[in-house]
Amino acid sequence: MNNWRFKEIVVLSALSVVFGVVYLAFLPLGGVLVGFFGPIGYDFIFGIWFIVSIIAAYIIRKPGAAFLSETIAAMVEVLIGNAIGPMLIVVGMIQGIGAEAVFAATRWKNYALWVLMAAGMGSAVTSFIYGYFMSGYAALATEYVVAMFFIRLISGALIAGLLGKALSDSLAKTGVLTSFALGKEYRRKNAS
Amino acid sequence: MLLNHLNPSIKALTVCIFIVHLAFVFEPMPVFLFLIWTIVATFIFGNVNWKKYVLYFLPFFIFAFGMLWTTIAFADTSEHTNEVINLLGLTVPLDSFLVALALSLRILNVAALSLMFIFTTNTVDFILSLIQQLKLPPKIAYGVLAGYRFLPLMKDEIKIIHAAHQVRGVNQGKSLKDKFSQYKRFAIPLLASAIRKAERTAVAMESKGFTGDRNRTFYRQFFVTKRDFVLPGILLLGFWGAWFL
Repeated sequence: MNNWRFKEIVVLSALSVVFGVVYLAFLPLGGVLVGFFGPIGYDFIFGIWFIVSIIAAYIIRKPGAAFLSETIAAMVEVLIGNAIGPMLIVVGMIQGIGAEAVFAATRWKNYALWVLMAAGMGSAVTSFIYGYFMSGYAALATEYVVAMFFIRLISGALIAGLLGKALSDSLAKTGVLTSFALGKEYRRKNAS
Repeated sequence: MLLNHLNPSIKALTVCIFIVHLAFVFEPMPVFLFLIWTIVATFIFGNVNWKKYVLYFLPFFIFAFGMLWTTIAFADTSEHTNEVINLLGLTVPLDSFLVALALSLRILNVAALSLMFIFTTNTVDFILSLIQQLKLPPKIAYGVLAGYRFLPLMKDEIKIIHAAHQVRGVNQGKSLKDKFSQYKRFAIPLLASAIRKAERTAVAMESKGFTGDRNRTFYRQFFVTKRDFVLPGILLLGFWGAWFL
């Protein structure tokens, strides 16, 4: 935590606030999908709930960025008021750990597209384990649970990994990230 | 009112502990009884606007209904007995129905516990109490508070971006496809302005002497008193009562 600049923390919180709102906005959509398809409805769009981990880690590139941003986004959702309550902070932490573990495996050095997609899948794995116990997936048929798991993995890779990278890259183009790792890399690339 | 004056951290922990406990209950009756108990306790011990409460609560009936029918439809029937019941002309294994009912009641119960917390807790108090009771690093906590403060500002920001697009004659998005590309046009400027604001705020805070040190003083202090353990007591009583009844 000590090698973090305070600026990075506040920017990370600001990103988390924006996506906390986005997360909340997607809850009713998930609810509608669940109404039609059952618990699997959430899994189609589950990746959206991991996106801030990917974006924050990709921009700031410091240990803990993925975990912290997801936790703060969850905290913001609690502050605004949501269905799952303070427990959501725990959910956020669990999702953050999944992505963080993947970045940790590259020693927070590699931020290529495949790593970002793997991080999205990492969140999918941890969140699924949590959901398995807390939401009672154990009561569902095995094939259905397996289908849920794979759809969530794909959703994590595509929505969180791919879309997260695309969003961050277009942010870098605007020049607001010049004092962050991603902005510096972007400048170096364009200078050469 | 009692609930509104409890220590926010202890209240949050209490709610979390009971939500975890609910995950181990697969019978409908105890969950139903505890749900009633939670709602009654919220209104007796908390100062809650019931109209707003109902409005927040209603969407969960949709979630709960989705859970109900899918758990029946996709149930793991291998260990179930052969008893069946008639449900709207369909024969359904009794065990599947009971588990499904328990799971959907659980959703409602978790919602009731969460609403109990949300409707009786001030957000800034919650963060301050997290620093003071649960040792959240002030650096993160004040970062979150600063970020949270941006929320109303972002609403204005959206209006400004909207006006800026309008004045330049960009299409306003009638069809679904236009609406989608409109979101894309909004996302980047909104995020960029949020990052700029955050950077400025951070610099301002540091220039005024914010170090994020744990050894700081607080204008508003929070303590844990005996009173804070009344809520866990009430809920535990309800949980046991529901379980043994």
